[in-house]
Amino acid sequence: MADASQGKLIEFKGASLAVMTAYVRETDAVRLADAMHMMMGGMPDFFAGEPVVLDFSQLAGAPDWVDWTAITSLLRRYQVQPIGVRHLPEHLHEGARRANLAMLGKEGMSAERPVATPQPAAPVPQPEPVAAPAPAPAPEPVAEAQPAAGNTAAPTLIVERPLRSGQQIYAKGGDLVLLAGMSPGSEVIADGSIHVYGPLRGRALAGARGDTSARIFSTNFGPELVSIAGVYRTFERGIPQNAAGRAAQVRLIGSDNQHTLEITPLQNDH
Amino acid sequence: MTRVIVITSGKGGVGKTTTSASISSGLALRGFKTAVIDFDVGLRNLDLIMGCERRVVYDLVNVINGEANLSQALIKDKHCDNLFILPASQTRDKDALTEEGVEKVLKDLSHQGFDYVVCDSPAGIERGAVMALTFADEAIVVSNPEVSSVRDSDRILGILQSKSRRAIEGREPVKEHLLITRYSPKRVEEGEMLSYKDVQELLRVPLIGVIPESDDVLQASNQGTPAIHLKDSDVAFAYQDVVARFLSEDRPLRFVSYEKPGILKRLFGGK
Repeated sequence: MADASQGKLIEFKGASLAVMTAYVRETDAVRLADAMHMMMGGMPDFFAGEPVVLDFSQLAGAPDWVDWTAITSLLRRYQVQPIGVRHLPEHLHEGARRANLAMLGKEGMSAERPVATPQPAAPVPQPEPVAAPAPAPAPEPVAEAQPAAGNTAAPTLIVERPLRSGQQIYAKGGDLVLLAGMSPGSEVIADGSIHVYGPLRGRALAGARGDTSARIFSTNFGPELVSIAGVYRTFERGIPQNAAGRAAQVRLIGSDNQHTLEITPLQNDH
Repeated sequence: MTRVIVITSGKGGVGKTTTSASISSGLALRGFKTAVIDFDVGLRNLDLIMGCERRVVYDLVNVINGEANLSQALIKDKHCDNLFILPASQTRDKDALTEEGVEKVLKDLSHQGFDYVVCDSPAGIERGAVMALTFADEAIVVSNPEVSSVRDSDRILGILQSKSRRAIEGREPVKEHLLITRYSPKRVEEGEMLSYKDVQELLRVPLIGVIPESDDVLQASNQGTPAIHLKDSDVAFAYQDVVARFLSEDRPLRFVSYEKPGILKRLFGGK
C-alpha cells in the first residue's frame, strides 16, 4: 500500500459516466409532484438513488423563477438524486447553482473541465436471484428517463428457479432470462430484453430505461401486463388467441410518438 | 439429525393444523420421536386438535423467555407414545417470538433426540409464519384446489425461498411438497373445482398427496383426535399415504377419481 503522506490524498481525473437524464417540461413543483405520483405511484423505490441530470431543453413556457428546493426534494422523495442541469435558461442559473446543481454543457460534461482520462463506468450487475426494486412507469411521463453517454451492457441475469407471486427481479443494464417461468403476481424488469422459458404469467417490463428495441419472449404466453420502454398493455379482455399459452414475442413497432406493442406467436418447428 | 418440517400455506383455514396433527402423529406411529410446535401465538388451536388443551401449563413463549424449560412445556400426546406437543401462548402475541429464541428451542429438541420437529405455521406471511419456516429443512405447503388458496401458496413458496435460513445461508434449498386438501373429485368432474393436476401445474411443486373433503375432519377436531387415527376414514387413509410418501415409499394417489354411482345406488341412496 502506498504511504498516504507521499501520494495525493485526493486526485481529480476526467471521466465519462453513464447517467440518466430527466427531461423536465414543467417547473411548477405541484404539477410535477402530481405527475411523479401518477407515474411512480405504486413504486416509490424504482430509482433506488439514481443520479440524474435535469435537462430543460423541452421546457414549456419561460418561467421567471423556479422553486429549486421543492423540485430537488420532490425528486429525492422518489429516490432520484439530481446532480446537475442542462439547457437551462440563463436567468435561472443562479438559483440552480444555489441549490447545489452543477451547470452541465451540451456533451453532458461540465463545460469548464477538459476530459483527461475518459473511463467509461460499466454498471456493475448484481446477480442475486431476488433483488428488490420496483415496477412500471406509466405511459405519459412528464420527466422521461433516457440513457445519456456510453451505455455498456451488463451480462445477462439468469434465474433458474420459478419466480413466485410477490417476487420482483430487476436486470439492470442487460437482459433477463427466466428458466422456470413466473407466477401471477410476480414482476420482472430489464433494461434489455426479457426471455421466459416457461409460463409468463406476471408482469414483464423490458427496455426499462427507454430502449425501444427491447423485446419480451416467452414459451408460454399469458402475462398480466407487458411493457417495453414505458409503453404498456394489460389483458383484461384476455390474451390474444393466437398467442395465448404458446411461444410468442412482444415488440414495439411504429415511430417515435406512435409506438404500439405488437404480440406475435413464434414459429415452433417440432 | 433432526429434520424440521414446516406445515404452511399462506391462506387461512386450508388445513394446516389438521395436517400438522395428522402428520406428526403418523411419524410417531412409525416409531420416530416427533415434536409438533404451534407457532400461532395468540390464536392457538393445535392443542385443541390434539386433545391436550387441558394439560397446557407452559408454552413456546415461556420457553423462549426462559420462564420454563422445554421438558416442562412439552406435553406427551395421549394417542401416540413418541409424540410431544409444544403449544403456543394464548395470552401473548407474535412479537414475543424471536429468531434466537426459536433457534434455541429447535436446538434443544435436537439435543433431546427428536427425529422430526413439525412446525404448525399460522396463516399469513407475517412474523409467526416467517418464524415457523425460518429453520425448516422441508416444507409441506397446504393448498385447497381454489384460486385464492393457490395464489397464497405461491406467495408463501416465494417467502420460503427468500427468508428461510437455508436460502439466506446459500445451503441446499428447503425441500418443497404440495399437499392438496378438501378435494372433491365430483366437483372437479363437474368443472367447478380445480383438479389436482391444475394446482400442480400452477405451483410446480412435487405433490405429496391429496386429502379428500370429508365430514370426518370436523368430527376429529371435536373429539380432539388427529384425523389420522379415525377408523375407516378416507381422510385417515389419505394422511397415512402422505406419511408414507414423505418417508420415500411409493403410494398411488387415492380418492382423486369420481365414479358416477350406478342407477341402483342413485335410486336407493349413497352419494
